[in-house]
Amino acid sequence: MSITAETAKAHAHDPAVLCCRAEGGITIEPANLEDPAIFDDLVDSGLLNLDGCLTIEEVLGAKLLKTCDSLCPLTADVVEGAKAPSAPAEAAPAEEEVKEAVPAPVAAPAAGGILKIHIGEGKDIDLEIPVGALGGGGAAVAEVPQTAVASVAAPAEEAKEEKVVRTLTRKHFNITEVKRGPETKIEGTTLYIREGIEAEVIDNQELVKDFHLEIITPDLYHTYSETIMDVQPIATKEGDDDIGTGVTRVLDGVVMMLTGVDEGGVQIGEFGSSEGYLDENIMWGRPGCPDKGEIFIKGNIVVQEKTNMERRGPMAAHTAFDIITQEIREVMKKLDDSLVTETQELKQVRRPGKKKVVIVKEIMGQGAMHDNFILPVEPVGVLGARANVDLGNVPVCVSPLEVLDGCIHALTCIGPASKEMSRHYWREPLVLEALHDEEVDLCGVVFVGSPQINAEKFYVSKRVGHTVEMMDADGAFVTTEGFGNNHIDFASHIEQIGMRGIPVVGMSYCAVQGALVVGNKYMQYMVDNNKSESGIENEVLGCNTLCPEDAVRAIAMLKTAMAGEDVKAAERKWNPNVKSTNVELIEAAYDRKIALEENEQSLPMSQKRKEKYD
Amino acid sequence: MNDERLKYGGKIIYMEGVIVAVDDCSISIDLKGRLGFFKAPKRMFICDTEPKVGQEVGFNMSFPEQLGPKINDKYVSNIEKERRKQEEMRKRLDNKEV
Repeated sequence: MSITAETAKAHAHDPAVLCCRAEGGITIEPANLEDPAIFDDLVDSGLLNLDGCLTIEEVLGAKLLKTCDSLCPLTADVVEGAKAPSAPAEAAPAEEEVKEAVPAPVAAPAAGGILKIHIGEGKDIDLEIPVGALGGGGAAVAEVPQTAVASVAAPAEEAKEEKVVRTLTRKHFNITEVKRGPETKIEGTTLYIREGIEAEVIDNQELVKDFHLEIITPDLYHTYSETIMDVQPIATKEGDDDIGTGVTRVLDGVVMMLTGVDEGGVQIGEFGSSEGYLDENIMWGRPGCPDKGEIFIKGNIVVQEKTNMERRGPMAAHTAFDIITQEIREVMKKLDDSLVTETQELKQVRRPGKKKVVIVKEIMGQGAMHDNFILPVEPVGVLGARANVDLGNVPVCVSPLEVLDGCIHALTCIGPASKEMSRHYWREPLVLEALHDEEVDLCGVVFVGSPQINAEKFYVSKRVGHTVEMMDADGAFVTTEGFGNNHIDFASHIEQIGMRGIPVVGMSYCAVQGALVVGNKYMQYMVDNNKSESGIENEVLGCNTLCPEDAVRAIAMLKTAMAGEDVKAAERKWNPNVKSTNVELIEAAYDRKIALEENEQSLPMSQKRKEKYD
Repeated sequence: MNDERLKYGGKIIYMEGVIVAVDDCSISIDLKGRLGFFKAPKRMFICDTEPKVGQEVGFNMSFPEQLGPKINDKYVSNIEKERRKQEEMRKRLDNKEV
């Protein structure tokens, strides 16, 4: 396909190749040339050889000496009157330097457009390289922050005072033992759960047919378990406090864990299997996962036959399981303050004058367990919450403290390695990092569901665009969990925000299996949440979810983008080295050490991984 | 990379199928030409309108290739546990109905 004068200018330093047959003697115009975005694929497949090919700026206006066929690279011997290249001599050495200095995580395919590289360190050379891969299906494009981000701090000329909008106090109570007893109570550091509470769980929901409660202590970690549907903190509000403000009481050392099957023994959410031995299938310490040493109050719910794939099945399971959590919450409300082991104050700080950023979190909304309860009365509760599917998956704006106070009760049962469980939001690393970063002003968090149907996807992403526009944000993060058709709206959210001139950093698990299905020219800044060794959905709970290290990379990248610096294009195929280089760059620029998360290699090696994946 | 273990991975074939079941989280597809059946999570299915039984779908696929003769005991054990549990629960359910 021929290109326009504008495209030709943008691709001035790219190879000049005829898009269709051209007669000898013509003057070469943009309309004679092919879009360089497609060259990578052609070169890869051996259909095109660019050796000795002149650049677009060199051939424009020159005369074609002989008739050539389509896709013929224009070399010096077929062109007369080629111009001299504009930024030649210096460019060569510079480019090498860039390569070394390159940072960049992520695999996002099909990000077309232009990539400008600015080489910092006072060298002052600008390179423009096509991102390529336009329309290339599974090809991976990764990108990253490039230069030191310190420069972003500059615009803070009119440094105004920080403003604390509201605070949230977390009172921690330590639990070291969980037992069954005649009543639910907490004595010292021992939590007792009433015997016979199972009957109430079963009676609560018509669809719940059976229920078993297990207490998993660290010595029982090597226990076989059904697929984990959710991991939840046990927390409650003091008095009439609303989520996201006031005081929250939380139990340390213990988490709620939900699993479920239907009466026929079929797992709820049949696909993502993290069933197997707990210690081999949980990525300890991920924001959404249990930490090593914690006790699990694990409930296995049996729902009515064949409702495991219907929306009401998982909903009933989560609602019924909350009976137990709620009973513990009631007990916690009465606990004496003398048992508080730690008090933590979370502040929602606005920093007027700093770059205003917003976090858009795409959550699943295709139906059934691909759903989330938003804003319950109690942290990660059920009562009072609305399912985002019922809300039409439209954007819902919440405060960062509401996120950290459990405003999302996740029903999500997508692939285990990339699912964000309820606990993930309680410890959401990007929200925490952005809230604490003194160089940015986090104005809020927008949750948007991912509907099943494309028309609805674009409906909600347009709302996201307008929402962010009216915030007057200087930059945005768009994150998503899982992979699949949600990447269509993920790309669309980024486009809707990007087309308003707001730089957007996209975060998702991509790597190999989660390579994006679509792309657009605004997807220049991408961070890959992958941690698995081979870049795959490795069936280990929480392995590829957003972690503090990803949050740091994303913020560094957004600052770079907001400062007008450019980020180098990713390579065509997923390359984990891009991430490590970026991490090194950020460490050097900020003079801080970034702790990298472990991956599945740190777990006891199960046969399955040994043979299948590594 | 794992795909290097495939001998015929480059052979990508356009396929068609028919949606035979849709529930809240999955779609089931019969491959045209009696070539099989599969069920996939809805999030892996791309559609412009609501998916319905009888609609036709298209996709590229290749041949699943055996990665080696070795049997992974872990999977066998999981499958076996799953089968036994389902059998038991099935029995309990049947008794209840009687």
